[in-house]
Amino acid sequence: MTAHLERINEYASRAALARWLGFTASGGEDVVFRLAFNETHIGNPAIRALHGGVIAAFLELAMQADLYARTGAGISTANISIDYLSSSRPEDMAGRVRLLRQGRRLAFMEASGWQADETRLVAVARACFTLG
Amino acid sequence: MSDQISAGDINPTIGAMLRSARDFLAHEHSLFRSLELKPILIGKGKATFSMALPDTFASADGSVHGGLYTIIIDSIFGLTVFTALEEIKPIATINLRTDFVGAIAPGARAICSAECEAIKGDIAYVSGRLTTEIEGRLLATGAGAFMVGTKGPIRGMRL
Repeated sequence: MTAHLERINEYASRAALARWLGFTASGGEDVVFRLAFNETHIGNPAIRALHGGVIAAFLELAMQADLYARTGAGISTANISIDYLSSSRPEDMAGRVRLLRQGRRLAFMEASGWQADETRLVAVARACFTLG
Repeated sequence: MSDQISAGDINPTIGAMLRSARDFLAHEHSLFRSLELKPILIGKGKATFSMALPDTFASADGSVHGGLYTIIIDSIFGLTVFTALEEIKPIATINLRTDFVGAIAPGARAICSAECEAIKGDIAYVSGRLTTEIEGRLLATGAGAFMVGTKGPIRGMRL
């Protein structure tokens, strides 16, 4: 396990939300985050899709954990914007994050989430973080 | 809650759907049951709910994670879109922005107020805010766009 992945896991282990999401991370240089599907993640039971807010929470936590692993700083989300590109299913979700720009006090990141097929994205999110 | 739902000019069919959704959310939906959603005001194009902020949703620093703010905002915004409709149609969030203004420890309750600003064509625009229940301190603001009349099945609200 890389030091980066260890720091991601250390950050996630301190967040109760990570347990609720079934949040894990794996990989080396290219980290893939995962949400383990649970019935509590369903929004509308009639449609049986993941709740949009749950997807946003998963992607925000992935960005936070990755940013913490890079900086070791206290991370606070200033804002997040998420686009839902396609419908989701009651299944696990995977995600990748990308650091767009890191300054002394702010960092900008984006995250993408998908299920069976990485070329069919379910959602993309961008967020601004303050570094404390 | 029935008084709040019947208030205003909500379409009767939509009102009936909201009442059945309320019962389902309060008793059978595990996520919303844990949030202990309570309606404060529901009118046409407007909704205000109070909710719990359980420690299940804590962030790494121990405060309520912003992800729960977004879960709440997406949920209440979606419900607000329904109150503005004249007939039951499936809806879906297109995009959503959440600005995180304040932190709060788990265990407190919050209030989410939302307003459907406009429906133009197939898009409904909603804005709103999340505050603490006791002091009214601002926690977050949100703005979202929702697709009205998606291709999915018409099976009630998407909350």
